[in-house]
Amino acid sequence: MQFIDSTNFERLLKKLSGEGELFVPVTEKDTGKLHIERVEAFPLPEGMSVEGYRTVETLKGFAQLLRSTVAEYPSEELDEFEADENTLSYIVVGARACDVAAMELVDRVQIEGEFEDPFYRIRREKMFTIAADCTDCGESCFCTLLGRKPWPEKGFDLAISKVDAGYLIEAGSERGEKVISENGDLFIAPRDGQEKSRDEARAKVVAKLEKNNRDFPDATKMTEPLRKALADGLWDKESAKCVECGACTNICPTCYCFLLFDTVEGEKYRRVMSWDSCQVTGYARMAGMGNPRPRLSDRVKHRFYHKYDYLPLSHGEIFCTGCGRCIDACSAGIDMRAVFRNVMSKVAK
Amino acid sequence: MKNPYYPIDTVVEDIITETPTIKTFVLKPVRPVKFRAGQFMQLTVPGLGEAPFTPSSDPNITERMEISILKTGKVTNALHELGPGAKVGLRGPFGKGYPLEKLVGKDVLVVGGGVGLAPMRALLYALFDDPSKYRKIVIRFGAREPAELSFRRQYDEWRALAGNISLKTTIDVPHPDWSGHVGLVTTLLEPDKLEGIDIVDSYALSCGPEIMLKFVTLKLLEIGYKPPQIYLSMNRKMSCGMGKCGRCNVGHYYLCVDGPDMCYDKIKHVPNVFG
Ligand SMILES: Cc1cc2nc3c(=O)[nH]c(=O)nc-3n(C[C@H](O)[C@H](O)[C@H](O)COP(=O)(O)OP(=O)(O)OC[C@H]3O[C@@H](n4cnc5c(N)ncnc54)[C@H](O)[C@@H]3O)c2cc1C
Ligand code: SF4
Ligand code: SF4
Ligand code: FES
Repeated sequence: MQFIDSTNFERLLKKLSGEGELFVPVTEKDTGKLHIERVEAFPLPEGMSVEGYRTVETLKGFAQLLRSTVAEYPSEELDEFEADENTLSYIVVGARACDVAAMELVDRVQIEGEFEDPFYRIRREKMFTIAADCTDCGESCFCTLLGRKPWPEKGFDLAISKVDAGYLIEAGSERGEKVISENGDLFIAPRDGQEKSRDEARAKVVAKLEKNNRDFPDATKMTEPLRKALADGLWDKESAKCVECGACTNICPTCYCFLLFDTVEGEKYRRVMSWDSCQVTGYARMAGMGNPRPRLSDRVKHRFYHKYDYLPLSHGEIFCTGCGRCIDACSAGIDMRAVFRNVMSKVAK
Repeated sequence: MKNPYYPIDTVVEDIITETPTIKTFVLKPVRPVKFRAGQFMQLTVPGLGEAPFTPSSDPNITERMEISILKTGKVTNALHELGPGAKVGLRGPFGKGYPLEKLVGKDVLVVGGGVGLAPMRALLYALFDDPSKYRKIVIRFGAREPAELSFRRQYDEWRALAGNISLKTTIDVPHPDWSGHVGLVTTLLEPDKLEGIDIVDSYALSCGPEIMLKFVTLKLLEIGYKPPQIYLSMNRKMSCGMGKCGRCNVGHYYLCVDGPDMCYDKIKHVPNVFG
């Protein structure tokens, strides 16, 4: 572990920005919320902050673009292509524990298994992540209910923790270690007590998260109760106000569903991949053969079961990191934690 | 690097009209495509999009592939408009295919209806490779009317292949051109109509419209099949074919990866399993 003061941290980012596009969290004046912004020039934007908690946007858009071309056909090379070695990487600063963990979950779907999505993998490999501790949490944050910590433990290249007038910094990958060793003059050994004050700050955030979420059940133990509640009428009630906007899935760092569609471009054709949402009616509808989830409550329910029952079975882990974005984004006020509480009280009966 | 989203350039060599609504497309991809019976392909109409289909041809033949297609919507209507020489695209194969290893030494019951006969034909070709590997091969096909029974021209040839093969057909309601059995395909599944199949040592495989799958399953259970002995070709909307787009789940299974033929035992708990 090393210490880097704020001035040197900016120097480090400036240096790294020569190798790719730099993105940092910037505080929005009116709301105080953090948004991911691209740094075009130095000095760093006023309002840049790696304190507080997660940004409004997730990291998934760096690896799985909202919309992207995945094939142009016909082509002489057929399904072989050369990856462009020269494309710049993304340096993403201030990623929180819940977000780096979410990326690792999506990797399991898009990279692992018999087929890999080469475009996702390339973009993922080009991502250089500088993760950060949460120094606060939002009302909707519930990472601790998932047994997670509000500081990153893996899945990053570098991780920083705010202390004194700078950061404790740790490498989590070979690339991260290289950056530290190549820029030795920017770092110093941590002073006595810095690690302790980091741990105290962390404990404070955990205490706040636990207090905020004390009325909600342990989310890691929801799979069984959900199975019991599969046919329960509570889902009609929970979904009554949903307007099927898909905001909850679009904003979710672990939601990876997409759709392929084709367009005509002169003599050629283009295949486009676009984010999609299981919350909208057309998602799984078939020709004349009905829809496996025809009712609104079937679709609202599906998000919960997919993340908390199906994906643990097929991909080994709950696909929710407790970031709380779906709660903030929902205009119907659906709060996953409250739904779990209602499920628990139903199945306890 | 391999791009799994690219549709391999493919030419439509021939088109065979099977029924008023089903055509078989003989396709020649620029490079051979190896598939197992029951695996499926994504077929592209350039610029319009793709749809999933299970080849109906012999899996031993890789230079050409036949796909039998029911006209039902955007992509399939466009396919039915094509003529020989048209250019299309293929991705795949995807999915697991039929559990052929499990069938060796067993009585095999094959139940198909409507366009479901298409995937079943690839299964039959695989079984007919060496019919003696199976104790009995009992095939039961149904359609609404005689004209809707695909591949009729081949039935007698199949019956003559080996002594352990039985093929019976039925149509839903009486028709002037039909002197055979009348009734839903489930009426051919009465125990006395199954050539003395040893149900305890048998597997049943079925493909057809969801409503048919539902009643076939109920019938099979009634005559003594246990859920682990029943395989159903399930149908869901698909896009990627690779377990990535999230669309085709039945419970925690992605049909495009774990299916499309699913052991009933694995999915019987899923609500709306038959849509
Ligand atoms: C694994 C698998 C194998 C299949 N094999 C065959 C076959 O051998 N022969 C055959 O005729 N049909 C087969 N089907 C059904 C065929 O894929 C649909 O009829 C076709 O997708 C309809 O597309 P469309 O654009 O003409 O219809 P539209 O209604 O215009 O399509 C709308 C959308 O719904 C999707 N869709 C519609 N119906 C279905 C469906 N039943 N299953 C999946 N997606 C659907 C389409 O992909 C499209 O995106 C198979 C389906 C699956 C899942
Ligand atoms: S959910 Fe936890 S890790 Fe994520 S932003 Fe909130 S406090 Fe930080
Ligand atoms: S489901 Fe909600 S809380 Fe969980 S990861 Fe997705 S957006 Fe965050
Ligand atoms: S078709 Fe995309 S997950 Fe099955």
